Amino acid sequence: MFQSQATWDEKDEFLDVIYWMRQVLGVTLGLIWGIIPLTGIVGLSLFFIVNAGIIYLYFSGFQKVDEEEYGGAWELTKEGFMTSFAGFLVIWIIIYSGLHFTDQDLQSYLTSSQE
Amino acid sequence: MWGDTILILIISIITAFFGEGVTWAMVYRTEKYQKLKQEVERQCKKLEKRKETSESIIVKNQKKKLEREEEKLKTNTRDLSLVKMKSMFAIGIAFTALLSIFNSIFDGKVVAKLPFTPISFLQGISHRNLPGSDYTDCSFIFLYILCTMAIRQNVQKLLGFAPSRAVSKQSGNMFGPQPTK
Repeated sequence: MFQSQATWDEKDEFLDVIYWMRQVLGVTLGLIWGIIPLTGIVGLSLFFIVNAGIIYLYFSGFQKVDEEEYGGAWELTKEGFMTSFAGFLVIWIIIYSGLHFTDQDLQSYLTSSQE
Repeated sequence: MWGDTILILIISIITAFFGEGVTWAMVYRTEKYQKLKQEVERQCKKLEKRKETSESIIVKNQKKKLEREEEKLKTNTRDLSLVKMKSMFAIGIAFTALLSIFNSIFDGKVVAKLPFTPISFLQGISHRNLPGSDYTDCSFIFLYILCTMAIRQNVQKLLGFAPSRAVSKQSGNMFGPQPTK
């Protein structure tokens, strides 16, 4: 997997590697974004750019696979994307709420809004 | 503010495994399903290969043969989804019940703060049953759906229950992961 230009016996094997890389990437980015914290459209678009960028660099620069064999670069860029995005959102939200807000924040908010 | 978010994460992990467990017990381990699945997978791979090789020179009777095989594949795929249907129903009912329980527990409670403002058509979900108009408040259901989306497919893949790529490509989204509520 970390060997440059490794050979892949099966098409699916390479797609699986891309898939799991994406998931790990999604969670990691979520952690970083939550700790910094990045917010709003900046956070979202940065995620799309970094996520697609790293995967693109990996398969075209590092592994140098023939994209056409997998149905084009788009097919590879999209592999496991939704799941990775959802994972990213979950971790981002949890870390962001956990680190930068307390229960009191919301409690006081709730009571003030009820008044 | 960790309690609720972590709890929701754990809830969705458990329900994902529970759902797969039930499907395994009712569907995956049955002989009928395994046979059908193998058959469909074999046909899909064969068809894909044939399409690749004979794209440029499709002779008429070859085309007919291809069509016949596609027809056969369709029937098998339909059978497969029928087999799955039963457990889908059972899980659907169980999850709806569970969801309404959790919904009432977390009713009107802000479980998390969103680091972004969701686009307007998602606000109905992310701000469901919440007071005030701060749209960065996150309701239980929004976080739960996100967790399910993130976890379910990974669990399926991890356990080897996810449909192979060849199959999902051939049959469109029929077996694709449909995030359950």
